[in-house]
Amino acid sequence: MSTCAECKSFFVREEEPGQGDCVRRVVDPRQAYYQSKPVREDSSSSGCESFQKK
Amino acid sequence: MVAEPARDGSVQELENKQEWWWVAEKKRSKRLDYLRKAVWKKGALGGNYAPGIKLDLECATLFTDMWNFWKYDPIMMRRAKAIAHVLDNKTIFITDHAQLVGYFGSLPHTIMWRVDGASMVNEEAYNEPGIMPEPEQESLEKVAKLNDYWAGQTAVDKVARILDPEDAVKFLSGAIGWGAPSSAYGYSGKDYEYLFAGKRGFEDIIEDIEAAIEKAEEKTVGVPGPEILDIYDRLQNWDAMILVLEAAMRHAKRYARLARTMAENFETDDKRKEELLRLARTCEQVPAKSPRNLQESFQYDHFVQMFARVEAHEGAWPARPDYYHGPYYDKDVNIDKTLTKEEALDLVGEFMIRAYEVGGFAPRWAREGLQGITGTWVWTLGGVNKDGTDACNDLTIAFLQAARLVRVSNPTFGFRWHPKVKDEVMRECFECIRHGLGYPSMRNDPLLVQNAMHWHGHPLEEARTWVHQACMSPCPTTKNGVQPMRMASATANCAKMVEYALHNGYDHVVGMQMGPQTGEASSFTDFEQLFQAWTTQMQWLTNLLVRTVNLGRYKDPEFFGRPFLSGISQRSVESGLDVVSPVGDRGNCWITAFTWVENIDSLAAVKKLVFDEKKYTMEQLITALKANWDGYEQMRLDFVNNAPKWGNDDDYVDDIMIRCLQATARHSHVMKCPSGNNWPILPENVSGNIHYASIVGALPNGRRCGDALYDGGISPGPGLDKKGPTAVLASCGKIDHIADGRAFLLNQRLSPTQLAGEKGYQLWKAYIRTWADLGLDHVQFNMVSDETLRAAQKDPEKYSEVIVRVAGYSAHFVDISRKTQDNIIQRTVQGI
Repeated sequence: MSTCAECKSFFVREEEPGQGDCVRRVVDPRQAYYQSKPVREDSSSSGCESFQKK
Repeated sequence: MVAEPARDGSVQELENKQEWWWVAEKKRSKRLDYLRKAVWKKGALGGNYAPGIKLDLECATLFTDMWNFWKYDPIMMRRAKAIAHVLDNKTIFITDHAQLVGYFGSLPHTIMWRVDGASMVNEEAYNEPGIMPEPEQESLEKVAKLNDYWAGQTAVDKVARILDPEDAVKFLSGAIGWGAPSSAYGYSGKDYEYLFAGKRGFEDIIEDIEAAIEKAEEKTVGVPGPEILDIYDRLQNWDAMILVLEAAMRHAKRYARLARTMAENFETDDKRKEELLRLARTCEQVPAKSPRNLQESFQYDHFVQMFARVEAHEGAWPARPDYYHGPYYDKDVNIDKTLTKEEALDLVGEFMIRAYEVGGFAPRWAREGLQGITGTWVWTLGGVNKDGTDACNDLTIAFLQAARLVRVSNPTFGFRWHPKVKDEVMRECFECIRHGLGYPSMRNDPLLVQNAMHWHGHPLEEARTWVHQACMSPCPTTKNGVQPMRMASATANCAKMVEYALHNGYDHVVGMQMGPQTGEASSFTDFEQLFQAWTTQMQWLTNLLVRTVNLGRYKDPEFFGRPFLSGISQRSVESGLDVVSPVGDRGNCWITAFTWVENIDSLAAVKKLVFDEKKYTMEQLITALKANWDGYEQMRLDFVNNAPKWGNDDDYVDDIMIRCLQATARHSHVMKCPSGNNWPILPENVSGNIHYASIVGALPNGRRCGDALYDGGISPGPGLDKKGPTAVLASCGKIDHIADGRAFLLNQRLSPTQLAGEKGYQLWKAYIRTWADLGLDHVQFNMVSDETLRAAQKDPEKYSEVIVRVAGYSAHFVDISRKTQDNIIQRTVQGI
């Protein structure tokens, strides 16, 4: 089972072990942006459509 | 015939054609152009959300999860923990080219949903077509689950349970006013003196709170007595404030981290990389510490506004950006020269755009009443310093210039005019008006400072800090003057006063006895009897609304709770009380008086044609009104054309205006707010004149049920001011703008052709001088030709950026309903 830590979008938080941010680029009909959402590094990435192995 | 929009023409050609929206597009920087076009417009089109706008379920779900988890906590702490959970876990984003960040929803196209506000709004959210995120069925199920959880538990549900049942039914009928008696749906002033003038970051505030806690705890271990008992509640409130302020700082650091991640991992352009790193440093500095430069100052302010909106649905945005951010502009641009004027203008424009994109889910009545926008973000510019000297600065000018570049309909500006304003600033104001923005509205500062002292006893120095609390009402930004809660439920549909006076208190539109029985009007034998009935109805209607609001305010700390707003308010930081508690709040209440002038024209028509000339009997009139004038067209036209109308310098009708205002002002001193202060009225309309068109019955001014009401405040009826702008000003000048009410909105339309060039500016300036000499407190202008507006109706896509002044706010013309569009076109174009 793959985890978030193995994903290209995962960026670890150095000051908080085990925690990270899922950072992804989104282009919607009006604007382009980077979005970030907190995730744990050991969270399962199964079912995540955006998962990209590092 | 209007030429086709020529966006390919030169700037000069476009300016000659007065196609200011294309001029803006050509003149603004690439960054501003991108950011302006990137905005997902949240204001409803007429009453419906634009395609692509979706309800934010992420924040509502995060909030509810934590609210439920901490169910045994006191309300301030429970809310603080739920807000902290949202701030720690919601999705955040940074738009390309952005230098300022922060949005209260999770994604750019989402509208925040105040799930704990009112069950009836939640039901509307469920049933609103088109706003459910995909997959729709899954979202509907989530919303239904959330609604089930909150049913009966929301702030408004709790207030509704304790309202007098008769008051509740009449209030909820929708006939006499609107709003929700809870700070869940309202708006709050911010204690800018504490935050900005006091140079406090959140870390400084936490130190203040900890000092207050220490002092309080000394008492709790001292001699027992009743005076220490409420300290235990205050200690918990302080803890809640600290908790939410810490979460807010963590949230800002999430942006800092994202900006660094983007710079170090994705960005290839060196210039943008440096911008992102600067943005990271900005979010590491504020809100934790006080700002050091203009970017940080704007960012701090924007964060404060966003956090307040994560806590409650705020329908207005009281602010004075040139005053509080001006010193940083001066430092960066004029002293340190770390920013060029052009770079600063980009920041100012983006600061406005960040506010423009903010929008929460609103019930249909609010969307219809505020067509095209999501709330009244009226920012205050100009005015005076606390010592009475001119407060205008270079940032005042920058805001007025940036407004013409970004052309947003929200925020708009209200400009505090006073005799010492320099010509260069007046020219900038005029250019905004000439460019058709409809703002700034012009406010008579010396008079409104006196007004604030008269009605609410604000000391002179504090009164001089005033900002627009919403569209119109001045409110200080000080510890005891700032208004932490002003729900819009003290908003009266005043045309009902005369309607009920004519129908013995019965409402033929909603089909129930609403007001007191003041006698069958068909039996009235003189005008005084009618006026007495009107006075009784006026008192009843305002009493009911104020009772509701007072109760909502009093119970709000128990039913809702504002830990964040308390944490940024000196009064609460020192006292440990929820800021919504009236203790220590001087009070700054007012009743927004929609559809006011209909009373005056109607009473004047009855006096003239029934009692003076005896052309008709009261019985005939009442019969015609009950028939909605159907079958009485000749008689109706007589009441339209041969009865005096407000706005023509005619003492016959103007005296009735003064009499009505003075009767209401007397009652305003009788009704008291929870702080013991007065409740003056403030005639204005937003687009309530359209919302209430089918709710107000036929009136003696010749109006039929369904016709648009007058556009508001003390503006004459559209097309009924036949004697020119000076006569309008003369009529309005008969009102005492200090003692007769809190403020009085006046819409005027001017001709863009007449006001072209330098001559146009001089004409306008002379007009403003007359306006000030006559002692009016407000005026705002539409300066877009009928031809352009009609062309925009025919071809909305080509004119999507045309802005008009609706009432206390501006909107893009194509975003308002056809009925409101027609109402604006019908307004008299005044030649000055």
